[in-house]
Amino acid sequence: MPSETQPETDATPCAYTEYREGPVVDDLPATGAGATGTEAEVWDALYAVEDPEMPVSIVDLGLIYDVGVDDGLARVDMTLTYSGCPARDMLQTDVREAVAAVDGVDDVDINLVWSPEWSVGLVTEAGKADLREFGLSI
Amino acid sequence: MAATEIELTPDQRLALETELRALADDEFVLAERYVEWQVHAPTLESDLALANIAQDELGHARLWYDLLEELGYDETDLLWERAPETFRHATLAELPFPEGEWADAIVRSYLFDVAEELRLEALAESAYPAIADRVGKIQREEDYHVEHAENWLERLADGDDGSDHLQDAVDRLFPHALAIFVPAEPVPFGAETVSADGSGAEPYTDGDALPDAATVEETIVEEGYRTETLATLGERWLDRVVPTLESYGLRTPVPADGDITDELVPAACGRNGRHTDDWDALYDDFTHTYRELGRDEATLIMDRPE
Repeated sequence: MPSETQPETDATPCAYTEYREGPVVDDLPATGAGATGTEAEVWDALYAVEDPEMPVSIVDLGLIYDVGVDDGLARVDMTLTYSGCPARDMLQTDVREAVAAVDGVDDVDINLVWSPEWSVGLVTEAGKADLREFGLSI
Repeated sequence: MAATEIELTPDQRLALETELRALADDEFVLAERYVEWQVHAPTLESDLALANIAQDELGHARLWYDLLEELGYDETDLLWERAPETFRHATLAELPFPEGEWADAIVRSYLFDVAEELRLEALAESAYPAIADRVGKIQREEDYHVEHAENWLERLADGDDGSDHLQDAVDRLFPHALAIFVPAEPVPFGAETVSADGSGAEPYTDGDALPDAATVEETIVEEGYRTETLATLGERWLDRVVPTLESYGLRTPVPADGDITDELVPAACGRNGRHTDDWDALYDDFTHTYRELGRDEATLIMDRPE
């Protein structure tokens, strides 16, 4: 919403809240497009998990790097936006519970990975739309 | 590749653990000190800046402690029930802030963050993949720490009063910052990390049999866990910080010939397992709640609901 008291051109974003575009990484963001069977259902379950601070799916946020299901064991490679993220345990619990509820999944293995490091460049178009609706400029 | 998939000889493991402890402990202990400023910084924005930097450092400590956890430790071993004398942070991290000395926080952050920047560069090509994988993430988050410190250095140096406080801080902190480049004394493997058949780790459960710090430092570099020696990093650090501090009219204890002798480094420098008396108080502080609640595991603050 435009401010009634300040012309928009006066906006001075905080110099240290710099949302840079990251390097383009092959195969990321991973969205599960093309997945079939139980893997597709795991991706669906992950889409339902939201970031605790913003109403956006962790898949659209670009946090999920890979999913694999092998003989009932689901493996999720994921990252966090920020190494000091206070919701690390909570997010992993949410992911574990969502994936464990999928038919055909007996066990869940979560790998936290840090490379390539997450950046705004990994947010999907749908994720950017959700973040804009939430009020972030992206 | 997960760390646990790599077979390590006892010497490799000791070198890896030693490097990780120095990295993790520096970040953790410094953050414990920074948070004291959260309610005392000169402006609300400074409160937030220091709190934010502390949060970054805690996040980085977690990334390094995670790798020690992959080697068999858990958070209680690494923090809450760890013997205080086995921490390997440089004493720069543990010193208390003299009351109201904002200049101390700025000089400390500057000296530490330049060192961290250089150390991370030497870890970017680490032969241990899980170390190399974490460097980019940390560097990205560290970018503004040095900039924050330099901005404040410049502001404080622009006046006699601020300059005096800066000089006091440099005099007090510089020797303890040199400790960052002292090879860390290895810590014997705890019994909890020795696998059931005792494979691999057994030779170093006995502190008397440990190689000395200099030998372990050689192994760290030979194995490529870090690609530069601490001596080289120390020289690069001096080349950065001494001219910068001098440009603000500040003197350092570094002699004109640039030679750093052991006499400049405090006898209790942290890396060697000897700490200042202030460390005991800080350790008691940050483990207080854990002990008071009678916890014996780290993650759960409260019992799980039935």
